[in-house]
Amino acid sequence: MGGGFRRFGAARFVRWGRREAGFVSRAAQGVVLRGVEKRFGDVTAVDAVDLEVRAGELMVLVGPSGCGKSTMLRLIAGLEEPTAGEVWIGGRCVDEVAPGDRDVAMVFQSYALYPHMTVAQNLGFGLRVRGAGREEIAERVGRTADLLGLEELLSRRPGQLSGGQQQRVALGRAMARDPGVFLFDEPLSNLDAGLRLRTRDEIAALHQRLGTTMIFVTHDQVEALSLGQRVAVMDRGRLQQVGTPDEIYRLPGNLFVAGFVGSPPINRLELARDREGRLAGGPFQFAEDREFGAATLGVRPEDLALGGVAGGADGTRDVAAGARDGAAGTRDGGAGRRGRLARARGRSDFEATVLRVEALGSEQRVHLDGPGEAGWVARVPPALQVAAGDRVGVSVAWERTHLFGPDGSRVGAAPGPGGAVS
Amino acid sequence: MGGRAVRGAGREGAGRVRGAPGVRGWAAAAFAGGAGLIMMVAVGAVGGAGERATENDARVAASLYEVQEVSDADVARLLDGRVEILAVRGDPAAPEGRISPASESGPGAYAYEAGSLEPSAWISVTPDNRGRGWPWTPTILALLGLLLISAWALARRPSPPPARYPATVALLSAALLSLVAATARQWAHHELEDLSGAHLARGLRAAEIALAAGADPDRAARVTGLPWATTTALDTPEQLWTMPREVGAAIAATPGLRSAPAYTIAAGGATYHGGSTRLAPRAVTADAARPDTAVAPPPPPPTPDTLHLVFLGYEETASPTIPLAASALGSALLVSLVLFLLPLSTRPRALRRTLAAWGFLAPATALLLLFTFGPLLFSLWISLHEWHLVDPAHPFTGLANYRGLLADGSWWSAIRNTVVFTLHVPFAMALALALALLTRGSRRAVRWVRLALFLPGITSVVAIAVVWKWLLNDGYGLVNRALEGVGLDSVPWLTSPDTALASLMAISVWMVVGYQMVVFQAGLAAIPRDWYDAARVDGAGPLQRFRHITLPGLRHTLFFVLVTSVIGSFQVFGLVYVMTEGGPLGATDVAVYHIYREAWEFLRFGNAAAMSWILFAVVFAATWLHFRFLEGRRAHA
Repeated sequence: MGGGFRRFGAARFVRWGRREAGFVSRAAQGVVLRGVEKRFGDVTAVDAVDLEVRAGELMVLVGPSGCGKSTMLRLIAGLEEPTAGEVWIGGRCVDEVAPGDRDVAMVFQSYALYPHMTVAQNLGFGLRVRGAGREEIAERVGRTADLLGLEELLSRRPGQLSGGQQQRVALGRAMARDPGVFLFDEPLSNLDAGLRLRTRDEIAALHQRLGTTMIFVTHDQVEALSLGQRVAVMDRGRLQQVGTPDEIYRLPGNLFVAGFVGSPPINRLELARDREGRLAGGPFQFAEDREFGAATLGVRPEDLALGGVAGGADGTRDVAAGARDGAAGTRDGGAGRRGRLARARGRSDFEATVLRVEALGSEQRVHLDGPGEAGWVARVPPALQVAAGDRVGVSVAWERTHLFGPDGSRVGAAPGPGGAVS
Repeated sequence: MGGRAVRGAGREGAGRVRGAPGVRGWAAAAFAGGAGLIMMVAVGAVGGAGERATENDARVAASLYEVQEVSDADVARLLDGRVEILAVRGDPAAPEGRISPASESGPGAYAYEAGSLEPSAWISVTPDNRGRGWPWTPTILALLGLLLISAWALARRPSPPPARYPATVALLSAALLSLVAATARQWAHHELEDLSGAHLARGLRAAEIALAAGADPDRAARVTGLPWATTTALDTPEQLWTMPREVGAAIAATPGLRSAPAYTIAAGGATYHGGSTRLAPRAVTADAARPDTAVAPPPPPPTPDTLHLVFLGYEETASPTIPLAASALGSALLVSLVLFLLPLSTRPRALRRTLAAWGFLAPATALLLLFTFGPLLFSLWISLHEWHLVDPAHPFTGLANYRGLLADGSWWSAIRNTVVFTLHVPFAMALALALALLTRGSRRAVRWVRLALFLPGITSVVAIAVVWKWLLNDGYGLVNRALEGVGLDSVPWLTSPDTALASLMAISVWMVVGYQMVVFQAGLAAIPRDWYDAARVDGAGPLQRFRHITLPGLRHTLFFVLVTSVIGSFQVFGLVYVMTEGGPLGATDVAVYHIYREAWEFLRFGNAAAMSWILFAVVFAATWLHFRFLEGRRAHA
């Protein structure tokens, strides 16, 4: 409020100056953050963030709650003023520009629809306060309603709408103004699961259709990976990694990103130098010559394969070879491999006992009691016959593993089976 | 429910047939009880009046006995020989053994101690049994009704009664009971009329006997045992003033009435009996039995030659109308209650739950009825009467009080003053909203400002009024001193009709603004921040945000503050009472203060009650309009 009062004069000047330009369809705008920092008292919500969102891009900001992603969105919208750094939108530094004049529109988690206005008035509010003519407002509102299928609801009030409809109206209110940048602040978190999936697809389709820059904040990593063209992962006010969803998943820049992205989370094992100077932990020993004393091994659940154990307690029972996700495993389908033994004792990297099996239909999650103190989880095809109590041999796709240095950043894949202890 | 299903349809049907007549029996019993109660009230009213008449007879006899010129035989003649006089002069112990005081002498026998200082005689009166018949007509009606209800109760129906059926029966019962009550009232009315007429005739005769015996005319009037008996011709307004307004007016308006031997005046729902008798020429002839009267005859009274009597009808003092109506209503309610419980009787759990719920509600309901609705209805009742605090008679006048107020200029001027006073509410609200917006947040200075603004709202009105009275005093008031100090003329804040009401309004604004501000701040805190953020992103400036977000978001708060403030300002009293007492020249005479004066200074409670109800109607209309235009617009949009 205070900022609004202070900037009132300038804001009006800018608004009237750009009045005509405000309503023509414009190209998407890029957003650049340069060393942006935001402190609330002693708390640093956003810490020296540099981020470039290209024009027309759908960028997702993801991170656990309290990581500063929403604050960053509000900084871009102008609802907060940065303590340090600059925000550029469309090649213009907007630090002194009021939120309404930044050419951005925002969709809030609570939708923030004005309850005393009809849907039509909600959609047209942004145009109305800018002094647009009655016909123009009606035309824009009609077009937006048409696009989102809101024609039937135009005379209703938000209180008479379902959650999904409200979400749509919130979207429409942002679209009606035809902004250069869309900002989404967790817009899907108040929807039920089915509606959330559908709306996610709609937003993706909308992005393709409008070609506008969109910045989407979420705490849901699945949503982030499925929706974003690029994903920015944040933690504790800092940008951890920016990249395509594939990069984020396959090459996590650090331990936090690796742990945050993926479900079930990545399996970890703490490694330390043993007396022979090798990195070791659990059953593994690695000939690793890089210069750190300790490291963390990260293995995604789908990069583990289960096999039978020769001479095990129930050695007669078939334990089909676990598929390595993506590679041989799922592509062939589990059914063809049913019954074929993989009793190659020498090929498994370690042995473990199955604690629990979650059968999810499309896959099974097998909880193992090893290799470290905290057990690992393996994702295997549903056809694999495995039950709690089974003793299994586990092989690791070493080329897809991650080794994280003591500071948490990724240093590469683990050296591979050659270093494994039998 | 499960158990019932297992038991089978046949037994369930039998259970209903068994259960339902039980409740129907209760309904019939309730009806019979109600009808019996009505009979008892009617007979009791007449009987009570009869007893009072007998007691009065004894008193008249004693008064007459006190008149020395009257012989014992005259006293006995007055009461048709129903009187026994036991003289105790000189032998105080004698009667004690033979006759005991009234309370112990059994029904119908009355004793009266004649003699003002020490008992000179015991007078026993045998009750006159006239007027103690049995009300046959209402009894037959009640029996017919009971027969009807019983027939319904006994009627076996193969299927459960439709839902409307008990309601019909309840309505029928209520109608029958009302009919019984109405006929009982009619019967009682007749009986009481008889008693009144007999009483009047006896009073006149007592006066005649006393006068014939040569009693002082004033004394003669006193022996009648009648209220408003006088020996004048009722010409002077003072004498008319002492009787009920309508009676006095009727007597004044009809000159012939004053000399008529007997007449009745029906006024205000009560029947008054009156009559007059010519004063007999004073017996100056010496009587052997009473030599003392012949020796020194008092000078004859100069003007009055007629004895005028007005008797307050029994109907007014012991009217059975209200208890009869109450018992009819109560019985009808009881029958309805029983019939309401009828459908529940086959579902004991629901019945228990309902009874338990009402058990818990009973204390609050009783308190509400006793201390809220009771007084409310009583004031409505008072407003339909001429209800003077010192006058025992409260004649029913219908809407006369209201009609009178419609033409009462001072009352409407009080209403107008109240409405003008209420115009301070919008000013106070605008100021409070501005202050609420300015003093948000939790900085120390802001908190102190808020506290300072809120304090007047929780301070005693009287204390505030006294302080402001000093501040605004013409002579030594601080405000005028300050004005003079800067070279301005002093203002007669509270002593000029032009400024007094405005001064009170300003003080009232100062008093309520803090409270309103706090309520507004609570309302502001309830507006989600997201709305403001969304409006800012949408490009709304501060004024547009106030117009489109703050005001609509505060709509309910504004409405609440407006309605409560308007009602509060319609009820303003303390400020006026302490500071201006309605003056100067009635400029600050507001409605509640006007009502207060009408009730407690002029003691006209009927009028005051009518004013209260008019004020209530005005406030109600104002609130309803608020709802209609402020809240309704949203509901209907």
